[in-house]
Amino acid sequence: MKKTGWIPTACYQCKAECAVLVRVEDGKIKEIRGNPRHGGKACVKAMAGISLEYAQDRLTYPLKRVGKRGEGKFERISWDEALEIITTKLKALKDRGEAHKLTANFFPHSITDPKWRFLNAYGGFINTALPHCDSAKIVAFIKTMGGVPNHHIPPAWLAVPKDGMMILVGRHAFGGMDDATIPRDVLDAKGRGAKLVVIDPLFTADAAKADWWIPIKPSGDTAFFLGMIHHIIANDLYDKEFVNDWVREGDFDKLRAYIADKTPEAMSKICDVPAATIKKLAEDCAKAPSVGVDSFKGIMLGRALDFGHAWTIFLAITGNIDNPGGQPLPDVTPLAPVEPVPQGPDLHELGWHRTGPDKETFAKYSFIMEPTWYESQAIKNGDLKVLIAAEANPALTEMGQEEWQKAVCMPGENGEYQLELLVTYEIMPSETSRYADIVLPDKSYFERWELLYMPWWYNFGQGIILRQPVVEAPGECRHSNEVFIEIGKRLTPEYFQFKDDVAYYDIQLAGLGLSVEKLQEMGGVWSPGTMGFRKYKKRGGFGTPSKKLHLYWEDLEEMNQALPRPGLASEYGVDEDKYPFILVSYRSIFHAGAGQWTHNNPQLRDRVSGLYENPILVNRTAAEKIGIDDGDVVTLSSRTGRVKVRAKVTERIRPDCIGILHGFGSTVGRVASMGEGVSDNILIPDAGSALEWQDVVGGEAHVSCRVQIEK
Amino acid sequence: MKQLSLMIDLERCIGCKTCIVACRNYHELVDYEGAMPNQIPYYLRVESKREGTYPDLSLTTWVVPCLHCIKAPCVEACQANAITKDLETGIVRIDAEKCLGSKDCIEACPYDVIQFNEKENFAHKCDMCFDRIHAGEIPVCAEVCLTNAITFGERELLKQRAVDDGRNVVKAMSTQSILYIR
Repeated sequence: MKKTGWIPTACYQCKAECAVLVRVEDGKIKEIRGNPRHGGKACVKAMAGISLEYAQDRLTYPLKRVGKRGEGKFERISWDEALEIITTKLKALKDRGEAHKLTANFFPHSITDPKWRFLNAYGGFINTALPHCDSAKIVAFIKTMGGVPNHHIPPAWLAVPKDGMMILVGRHAFGGMDDATIPRDVLDAKGRGAKLVVIDPLFTADAAKADWWIPIKPSGDTAFFLGMIHHIIANDLYDKEFVNDWVREGDFDKLRAYIADKTPEAMSKICDVPAATIKKLAEDCAKAPSVGVDSFKGIMLGRALDFGHAWTIFLAITGNIDNPGGQPLPDVTPLAPVEPVPQGPDLHELGWHRTGPDKETFAKYSFIMEPTWYESQAIKNGDLKVLIAAEANPALTEMGQEEWQKAVCMPGENGEYQLELLVTYEIMPSETSRYADIVLPDKSYFERWELLYMPWWYNFGQGIILRQPVVEAPGECRHSNEVFIEIGKRLTPEYFQFKDDVAYYDIQLAGLGLSVEKLQEMGGVWSPGTMGFRKYKKRGGFGTPSKKLHLYWEDLEEMNQALPRPGLASEYGVDEDKYPFILVSYRSIFHAGAGQWTHNNPQLRDRVSGLYENPILVNRTAAEKIGIDDGDVVTLSSRTGRVKVRAKVTERIRPDCIGILHGFGSTVGRVASMGEGVSDNILIPDAGSALEWQDVVGGEAHVSCRVQIEK
Repeated sequence: MKQLSLMIDLERCIGCKTCIVACRNYHELVDYEGAMPNQIPYYLRVESKREGTYPDLSLTTWVVPCLHCIKAPCVEACQANAITKDLETGIVRIDAEKCLGSKDCIEACPYDVIQFNEKENFAHKCDMCFDRIHAGEIPVCAEVCLTNAITFGERELLKQRAVDDGRNVVKAMSTQSILYIR
């Protein structure tokens, strides 16, 4: 199968999964480009994918643990032996009525990802790690607008008109995490006369291009937006026609009453942004032909659902939903179901093993994708017995990572571990694989089939991108989807009556009159060619029960969250004397999370073409006060953790914050373990020990905490 | 005079380094199996300038290729006559076959853009994708630039277009063949 030429496929250096073209010469990858049929851009991570493909660290055969968990001692085994161990354990778990104590930790590449099908058929749960990201945004959108969940629906920046407003609230859009075309589109819109506003405790690469940088107190975003909502309503600047036509009757009056005391002056005291700034931005937005808002870290820094709620209310009263430059609504691609469709385990019956035995606390939990929210807590509670991780690195990504590492090593009964089996699929060994019982060699995204089907792709709304093998996989690598299908055939054959992954995708594509082969011939992408605007009008309203926008959430009345609470995140109100700074994590275009794809990649860790280390950012004035010089090695401590790290003294951060780039600190990998990088998750308390801080309703976990810095 | 050039828009460059890696891939500068960080050759680099104090800040980033100097010091420094400024394009090229590995050019280059292949003993650098442009293609950096901050063309025309669009050439940065605008 030695291919030559430019082959369309999809990148997977990050979760944007941009459509790319790969130049292959005699079976070797030479170059990468953005696919012109889908926006035509690919970022630095995509370009560096070739270094991943040919890395020395590639795992090429299955391994079995021979030492203790965490020791990292393994021996080579055959696929037959590996699959025998896994299926025997899974069969025993199901036979004893505990199938729901299996969790698979992975990112679903589409709603019909074969891994998810296996889980639903078998009766296990999924952990997508999304509560660490933007689940609260998804929950807020679903509650207000109805519709289908989608993890990233940025405003269509390509559609912003002249004089439109583009607001990034703790969103590093130039990091390319939604689509590689976004930086171009934002700058093009700016060139047409649109305004870019960045609300962020950090002066980011986006802020460098912004018309206005507003350094806000972390988690002050809800107060800021409530102040704007107050100003817009109090001065009659809201979009009356849109509110009359599309907001549920009664909701606006409830909002008006609630907002009466949320004046810009009052909100200014919470978010530490001058009231005049809140008013000015509110007036600019009310006047503008469109306002698009995107947020990510803004929601992750705490009180996430409240901010998601204030954000959707703001869009509603300014009439910026599904209009050019505003908030797009996702849509569903008409793929055919693969019958019989497995229903999955009953979340309400069996899914209460997320963070503790207190079921009441989680009774209002509303994020459908996260039954196993915190793995370490579920293990401690005896509710997680088999964990399978694919393209996931919980040993580094779980908040309070040392708790995770301790939990997976907890002794259980009969000389077994409390977590009875831990399996990882790896392109290259990761921090997580060090603890695994079985490590399976995965195929890279250049070597496998995948049907990427999302309700929202940045360029055209809903659509499909085909990931296809462009080169052969090394050694004995098998893609996790192929293996899940194989295990499915053994354990729940009635749901796996198709030949393989390609046959599974063929069945779904039949809904569009397509097949994998046809899609290949078409150039690997399908879309309606347009995202469309104001789609709710044709459909007689929104996806909510009333068909109108729900600004008021009566189901959360008893939680005191029927309307957004303006306060800062709970964790910032404790230990203020001992830990005077707030830790703010951020992202760059060079790395995606803590994955080995980018962190074990020499080009992305190279000082010239990437980022080698992650010194912490300390404001100059704050540094002078505590006697810290640029380049000093300091101790950064929180109530649960402590790291030694180099300080970068800078003007580009609020004086009450410490900035840290998320995702560093791996001890595994030839490249990833180089340098002085540290992991922020050592400092952030795990959810189980700080349950009162978590936004359990929105399913959001906090990625921040208070810290102290000492020389 | 013929002078091909790259025009770099300081309002659009976000310092993403996509061009650096794409350039390396095309020019086959990376040993994918063995490369380690901070040891990989490069024909482009990103520089930046931060100004102001909190909260009034500015950050400008730009990419630096070989500037294809008007009177190139590397050409003059090379004892082996391995470096020439091409009359047809104005591109400064190193002939690896002729290069004797003296590193005189590296010493002479005021912009620190010349790389050296220790294993095979020759100097090399950005040639504005000489082979591509003769086939009607544009240099890789201009093709892949994430924000379309890099434009390729005849220097005089690029400059004319920038001025017509109401843009300013940053004179202090544009003293050689590469143009920077804001």
